[in-house]
Amino acid sequence: MLAAATLAFFSTAGDLLLWAILGLSSLLGAVGCLNLISSQPRWQRQTGILLFAVNLLFMGGFILICWFHWQIHDNISLTLPDEAVTWLNSQLNAMNKGASFSLPLYDPAQPPRYTIPVWIENEKYFFWFFCYSAMTLIAHRSLAHRQFRAVLHILLAIQVAILCLAANPFRDPLPKFFAEISPWFEPGLTPMARFGLFMRLYPKQIFYYNAHYMWFHPPLLFLAYAGMTITFVTSIFMLVKRDLALEKLGYDYAKLGYFVLTLGMLLGYPWALQAWGPNWWWDPKICSSIMMWAIFSTYLHTRLYANKPAMWYFSAFLGILCFAAMIFTFLASFFFPGEHTFQ
Amino acid sequence: MKKTGSYDFYLILATVAVLFVISAICVYGMFSFKFAQIQNMPVAIKATYMERMNTILIPFLIALIVILGICIPKRLMPTVWLNRFAVLLGILLAGVVWWIDLKTGLTVILTLSLLLQTVVLILALAGSARLIFEKKGYWLRVGSSLIHLGLILFILDLLFYKNLKLHLLLFWITTLATVAGMLLCFYAEWVAGVFDRTKACNNREEDKEASIEQ
Repeated sequence: MLAAATLAFFSTAGDLLLWAILGLSSLLGAVGCLNLISSQPRWQRQTGILLFAVNLLFMGGFILICWFHWQIHDNISLTLPDEAVTWLNSQLNAMNKGASFSLPLYDPAQPPRYTIPVWIENEKYFFWFFCYSAMTLIAHRSLAHRQFRAVLHILLAIQVAILCLAANPFRDPLPKFFAEISPWFEPGLTPMARFGLFMRLYPKQIFYYNAHYMWFHPPLLFLAYAGMTITFVTSIFMLVKRDLALEKLGYDYAKLGYFVLTLGMLLGYPWALQAWGPNWWWDPKICSSIMMWAIFSTYLHTRLYANKPAMWYFSAFLGILCFAAMIFTFLASFFFPGEHTFQ
Repeated sequence: MKKTGSYDFYLILATVAVLFVISAICVYGMFSFKFAQIQNMPVAIKATYMERMNTILIPFLIALIVILGICIPKRLMPTVWLNRFAVLLGILLAGVVWWIDLKTGLTVILTLSLLLQTVVLILALAGSARLIFEKKGYWLRVGSSLIHLGLILFILDLLFYKNLKLHLLLFWITTLATVAGMLLCFYAEWVAGVFDRTKACNNREEDKEASIEQ
């Protein structure tokens, strides 16, 4: 297992960084509230600097998470005694016969190690909100619209508060992963029990933790979620005022969001075939994702006709609906049972 | 931005309506899955559930495929011919379903769409002025053609899911076409700028070489 000092350093340093991010983003949120109610723009340049600092801290946290995963890779391996190898490989060979996707045989020279992507468990929220923070910085610099900037800053403060108080990835790092792996390091495990445990841990390591698709499918979706949030904010303003610059900015983020969403969803498909076989159709998360994609496609199509007043508002309404569908899709993992469930 | 009232506009509205119904069915499927506790049921009941949901969805998927079948030739034909083509397509589908089965009917429509879309893509790549596009710009048209080619291939590929190798090969072609199409379509101006710069660079180098030779 990992050394206690590594865990302690990761938790302490990460917690400090996160609280610093919360402090700065709360300040941004407070200035955002002030800008929303005030008739004059206030501290626009300073908020830009604050936002840049928040992004730097987010980057620091992300590097820390990468370092932590590197420690896991270096220190945790599923090493079996030499006498078990021949028998294990014969079992794996038998399992692989007739299977569409096979498990690699055990190589005693290179026992299986965990190469875990940096967006699992609570880390996914960190990555998602980091993407949003970076996009907010770009949007802040692209358009000097006081109220639009204010809403972006308030949303960032809310997201960081959620991250800090409900989904802190540093306080108790990767609890599910460590709960799964900790029996492996218990002293006095019998050879049969160790073998049984290996057969439970190994397929999950191959098809989930070490899956190549894991490096592309989730981050692309989180990037899309961040882009959709910016489009959502511009859509709200579109309902209030006919501002072409704002609409163009929203459309730019929608294009980026749609591109990465489509690519992310497509890349989930061969992974699902590999990990679950063909029996995952009608999984709730997939249903809601298809729904979200359909709404997003509709938004992009109707936006082509946004020169008509009715279509302008309909397009704005769809931008808001896209965001609602995104939230629904995300929460679906908590409330609906299925292959993607977080329950 | 486009004018409302065009054939394209009504096809988009029809697509939106069908996508809305498919979305509603998806939401129904989610709640149905949750409340019926399908995840805790034996495999046979899960299979029955999937079969039932597929049966509900099939008419709308057919509608989507038929709309797609009409959408594709709109690049090649004027509206009058498009109406005739739509009627012919309906008759062809009904005929094949009557004589063979639904799956073959859909495969025929999708294969026909695929062939037509390939023609559209080739013409778009050749920069043909005969193509009927409301959008202007070479790269935008190529991108749009690629996205639609990817979409048709994706739906067609679903019919081959039992043949895993072919299914995955077609899937990756689909992904490549869609990704390239989206990049060209969404960032057409940037792509055009890159190609213009490259062309200008090449022209400058050719001019230089020519001047050296002289």
